[in-house]
Amino acid sequence: MSSYKNTYRVVLLSIFIGANVLILFGIGQLFSYLNTGVDRSSILHTSLPDAKVYLPKVTWENTSNPGRPIEKQTLAEIESNYLQSWYVKNVAYKTNNSLGIEDFYTQSARLNILNHLQDQKEKNIQIEATSIHHNLSLDFYSLDGQLAVLTDRDSKQYQRVFKDDKLVLETEFEANYKVVLLLEDGFWKTRHLVKQPSSNLVEKETTIPLCTVKENNIYIGDTLYQIKGINYYPQNTPWDMFGEKFDVKKIAKDFEIIKKLNLNTIRIFVGYKDFGEAEVIPEKLNKLKQVLDLAKTHNLKAIVTLFDFYGNYEVLDWTLTHRHVEQVVSALKDHTAILAWDVKNEPNLDFQTRNKTTVLAWLKETITQIKKYDPNHLITIGWSNTDSADLLKDKVDFVSFHYYEDLSEFEGKYSNLISKIRKPLVLQEYGLSSSKGLWDPLGANEKKQAKYYTDFQEILNKNNIHHLPWTLYDFTQVPSSVVGKLPWRKHQQKHFGFIDNEGNPKKAFEVLKGE
Amino acid sequence: MKQTKRYIIFIVNLCVIHGVFTALLYAQKKPLAQLLTQTASFEAGSPVVLKFNTNLAVSLYCNGSYGGTLVHSDTDEASFKLPKFLTSKKGIIDYTLIANGESIITGSILITASKETNKTLESYIGPPSISAGGNDYTMLVVIPTDIFDNPIANKTPVKIKHQFLENRTVSTEKISDFIAWKNIYSYPTSGRLLVASSVSEIQSKEFSIEVFPAQPTNFKIDYSRKHSYADGNQITTFTTSVIKDTYNNNISDGTLIDFVIKNTKGAVLKTRGSSIRGVATAAILHPNYADTWQVTAYVSGMAVSNKITLAYEAVTNKLPVAFAEKNRKITVGPLQSFMGQLIPDGAVVKLAIFQNEKLVETKLKTTDKGSVVFELEKGFYKQGFYSFKIEALGLKVEHQNMKL
Repeated sequence: MSSYKNTYRVVLLSIFIGANVLILFGIGQLFSYLNTGVDRSSILHTSLPDAKVYLPKVTWENTSNPGRPIEKQTLAEIESNYLQSWYVKNVAYKTNNSLGIEDFYTQSARLNILNHLQDQKEKNIQIEATSIHHNLSLDFYSLDGQLAVLTDRDSKQYQRVFKDDKLVLETEFEANYKVVLLLEDGFWKTRHLVKQPSSNLVEKETTIPLCTVKENNIYIGDTLYQIKGINYYPQNTPWDMFGEKFDVKKIAKDFEIIKKLNLNTIRIFVGYKDFGEAEVIPEKLNKLKQVLDLAKTHNLKAIVTLFDFYGNYEVLDWTLTHRHVEQVVSALKDHTAILAWDVKNEPNLDFQTRNKTTVLAWLKETITQIKKYDPNHLITIGWSNTDSADLLKDKVDFVSFHYYEDLSEFEGKYSNLISKIRKPLVLQEYGLSSSKGLWDPLGANEKKQAKYYTDFQEILNKNNIHHLPWTLYDFTQVPSSVVGKLPWRKHQQKHFGFIDNEGNPKKAFEVLKGE
Repeated sequence: MKQTKRYIIFIVNLCVIHGVFTALLYAQKKPLAQLLTQTASFEAGSPVVLKFNTNLAVSLYCNGSYGGTLVHSDTDEASFKLPKFLTSKKGIIDYTLIANGESIITGSILITASKETNKTLESYIGPPSISAGGNDYTMLVVIPTDIFDNPIANKTPVKIKHQFLENRTVSTEKISDFIAWKNIYSYPTSGRLLVASSVSEIQSKEFSIEVFPAQPTNFKIDYSRKHSYADGNQITTFTTSVIKDTYNNNISDGTLIDFVIKNTKGAVLKTRGSSIRGVATAAILHPNYADTWQVTAYVSGMAVSNKITLAYEAVTNKLPVAFAEKNRKITVGPLQSFMGQLIPDGAVVKLAIFQNEKLVETKLKTTDKGSVVFELEKGFYKQGFYSFKIEALGLKVEHQNMKL
């Protein structure tokens, strides 16, 4: 009886305390809500968040105009507001919501956009769009600094049109616009926007690339190049090569080992977020340059995989990734240690979650962007299997694929692939983990791993296949972002190396060396 | 004859081969659909129908100045009536004919501005005030639109009119980059400039621009006062001549003029007045001791006056001092002015107290009914010998070794 009493007491007491907590929390929320509101800076637009959400490439061709010379600051404001006008418009057509339109279009101009939105709602259309490039020139800037006329020449755009949630059309085009902007409420708002007849004045420079592909073969300069390489992460910093623990000396030692293994190529990874996304961190870029310089002194070529751990692909995110490409790729476009840019590691794994067409469209445009900034080096995509490998085959210079399936099926799949693709094929990742142990009782041991490589090498040599095994080292730490949190998965990923945790060569080491 | 026959056969053969190849080429080139509409340029607001010759099930994507939309055929034929909100906006409309998710024809049509001009003429002017003389100018920008709010065609003439006093000027500017604009320069005289513009029959509203006088030129100053005594009570008034700008306009009302006074000791006094109809007036209290002032006036950074000199005479040469209560009560006064009247209240009297040639304290008091009384408290001033220096109205008196 008394135990019931105590239970009631506890229950009542905890309900009482819980209710009090809830009431206090509610009052607190109400209080903080009442404390939010318009402050002076938001009225005057002085402290608008400078979020980097839309960064198409902008070049100013000419700013001299008959009205008056323009100040740098005003020009920057016009540029920023003009881009924002594109951004809010693109968002509006994607979401069928006019949020933000009135900030960047004058009262009469915004009617046109509202008309489009009305039409889209009626027809159940959505348009995903982004502009990729704007070539601006200033035609006129008024004496009182309140009016500007711009020409946007060959503005490059990408659009995807959906009706009833089905993709109807994917299109990319260039257009010229003439724009009248008025300074209202602190914003340069679009007053008129008129698409002009196009001018085909694209000049193209021709350069001789450092690396080329001719008839299924890779050439560096005039010499035929056979890739015999390895996927590389330093032992103590896997998936974080350019982080705090970056150590050039250790990498130099590793390159000596790689050289001793008679390999000529490394594959390294540039994390999108790690390198600062749209605003690339100079320090990271400098570290990458150091690694490449080191590769050069060791006479190694590098396949640099970009956009590691990137997963958005949204059309409205494109311009940000383009700025990433611009900064990384153009900084290294003349580096002779680079063999190729690998656009993205295993993008086909994102087909399910991110929609295949979205991912492919992004890849296609990103290839164009990389080519634009670097005509010197080759471009490839690291597909995770042989089935996806023929996607975008016309866009890449050579086709890369990974193979972790059954060895006996390899030759069949490879010959199937070779019949479809008239370009060099690179086996960009393959390997077997010597992960036999508590977490993986059925896994291979070192001996089996060595055997796997012996057998694989035989096939590779026979068919003269470019190849890079995964990976040089066994790792003690594997971040959860790589294979997830499950310990047995992590365990497996830790034992793919040719050198074990203590730095001793495993049995497979000799196989790789001796081939 | 035989040869001619052969020749003819050869020619015929050639023709046949040529024909076959042309047909083949034509067959290869033949597109899946063809545009039947001939016109490629439409005036804004007029109906636009694009007809295609195709057997496929098609829809049309149109992309105009502000955005795009999908158009579906109303009939079984591939005939598309573009929506009005698209065809009423000036500019290129790019179209793509889509069949089974593939684009089969692309092309573009041009929408030109309507001939009907909007009833109101959008125009902007700035800056709203300029200075006279013909160097400064204001700019009128006109953005004429048609009834669908499109910028109207290039090279359309726009009349820009302005009136200044009796002068009326009309000039014609042609539209380029959607706008017509003109710089309107000021005239030598100040006044109000009225600006308007028109396109064919459509008139803009009126703008007025204030033309302010230009920079002031140097000027003269004068003074007036009730008497020349340094009584610290009366007021001396300074006035400027009528200040003109370079073009003989009176300077703007409210222009600040600083009068800078240097006295005999080298101290600088200042007074200030603002101009009305070109004249500024400023006042200052007389000094309370004999002094000579040199006065110059400035329009800060722009113009300067001549220098004038004023002398003030002392009101008296007597400074009576009386000691009482064992020299602890010092009465200065009664101070008398130029007619023997008591000087106005508020004249400053300074008493400096020394002991062993060291300054102990300086006391400052102002006169009340012509006199000032200083009391030296026992608590502060112990018994002993003190010296006093008394100053008032520019006069000095010293009393050495007074016993308290």
